[in-house]
Amino acid sequence: MTGAHIQKIETYLPERILTNIELEKTYVDWSAEKIEQKTGVRERHIAAENETAVDLACYAANKLLKLVDPAAIDFLILCTQSPDYYLPPGSCLLQERLGLSTSIGALDFDLGCSGFIYGLAMAKGLIQAEIAKHVLFITSETYSKHIHSQDRGNRSIFGDGAAAILITASESKCIGEFALGTDGSGYQNLIVPAGGMRHRYHPDAEALKDPSGSIRTENHLYMNGPDIFTFTIEAVPKVVQQCLEKNCMAIDDLDYVIFHQANQYILNHLRKKVGIPENKFYMNMLHVGNTVSATIPIALKDSMDHGLIHPGDRVMVVGFGVGYSWGATVLRI
Amino acid sequence: MQKSEFYDILMETLEIESVDSLNESTVLTDLEEYDSLAVLSLIAMIDEHFGKRIPGTEFQKITTVKSLMDLIGVDFE
Repeated sequence: MTGAHIQKIETYLPERILTNIELEKTYVDWSAEKIEQKTGVRERHIAAENETAVDLACYAANKLLKLVDPAAIDFLILCTQSPDYYLPPGSCLLQERLGLSTSIGALDFDLGCSGFIYGLAMAKGLIQAEIAKHVLFITSETYSKHIHSQDRGNRSIFGDGAAAILITASESKCIGEFALGTDGSGYQNLIVPAGGMRHRYHPDAEALKDPSGSIRTENHLYMNGPDIFTFTIEAVPKVVQQCLEKNCMAIDDLDYVIFHQANQYILNHLRKKVGIPENKFYMNMLHVGNTVSATIPIALKDSMDHGLIHPGDRVMVVGFGVGYSWGATVLRI
Repeated sequence: MQKSEFYDILMETLEIESVDSLNESTVLTDLEEYDSLAVLSLIAMIDEHFGKRIPGTEFQKITTVKSLMDLIGVDFE
C-alpha cells in the first residue's frame, strides 16, 4: 500500500429547511427571487435548537458505518467551528456515540471553508506514515448558531450540514499532492469576535447595523464580504496553479473541479478567472447553501450520485476562507 | 478606456434598469440596484477590466460614478 483514497462519503442535512420565501417574509425589501439570483441559494438546512455539530456528525457517520465495519476505524478526525464544548473535543464524544474502539486516535481541528482539504492532508499523512489504516474524517457545521437572527446577509448564504468521509490505504496515490496556504492578516474579516478568551461572551452586547441593514453583535458571526472576495481573487487562481504544478497536470487533464461552495457569484467569477470550462465546474448550493467545511464533500457526493463524476475521474478540490486559510489537491475517484 | 464604454460596463455590472444613462455625477448609492452585493459585482468588474484589487473598506467611500472612477485610479478619456 503506497497511497490513500476516499472510499466512501455520506452526508447529513438537518430536517428544517429555511427557504428564500421565508426570508422574504422576515425582511422588508428582500426578494426571494433576488436572493437566489445573487447567491445561487434557494433554501438551506438549519439545525434545531438542541441539535449540535456532534449530532450532525453522528448522523452522517452512522450512515457510513452501516456500510463499513466500525471496528475497522482506527482514527477519527472532526473538523468544526461550532463545537459542542470548548472541551472536551467533539471527536472524543463521537468515539463513544459511534461505538468505535477505545484504541483509536481522535482529534478535533478548527478550520472553516478550507477544512476538508486539510483533513484530507492529515488523513493521507496518517495512512502513509502507517499510523492508521481507516481514518473516519467528519466535517460538521452549525454556523446558523453563530448568526444573528437579523443578519439577513449571512442567513441567506450559510446552511448547516455534515459529511463523513472514510479514507483508507490504497495501491495507488488517489489523494494527490497538496498546495496549502495561510494568511492570518485577514483574521478579522470572518470572525465571531466575542465568546472566546480574548473577548468573553457579552450578555448585553450592543446591536451593530451595517449599511445593508443586517444586524449583529460582537457575539455573532461577522463577515466582511468585499474583503473576503478580494482575498479569494488573489489566493484561488494561485493555489489552483500551484496544485496543478505539484501534480504535474494542466486544467485540461482534470475531469472536474469542485470549489468550496461560497456563493454562486464568487464562484462564477473565479471559474472564469482561472479558466475552468463551465462543463467541468460543479456548483450545488441551490438546496444547501454554504455549509462551510462540508460543502466540498457534499458536492463531491452529489456529483457522483448524479453520475457527473465517475470512478477513475481526476477531480481538483479547492477550499478557501476563514483564517485566511486555503488549500487544494487532486483526487482520483 | 472611454468614459462611455465604462458607463456601459457599469450599467451591465450593476444590472441598472432604473435610469436610462449614467454620467459622472450619478449617485450610485441612491440607485435601487446598489444593494449589499453590488460591491462584490464592482470588485469582480474592476478585477476583470482593470486587473486591480481595491480593499473592501474603500468601497464605503463611493457616492457618485466619479468617486468610483477615482477609486479605480485610471485615466478615462
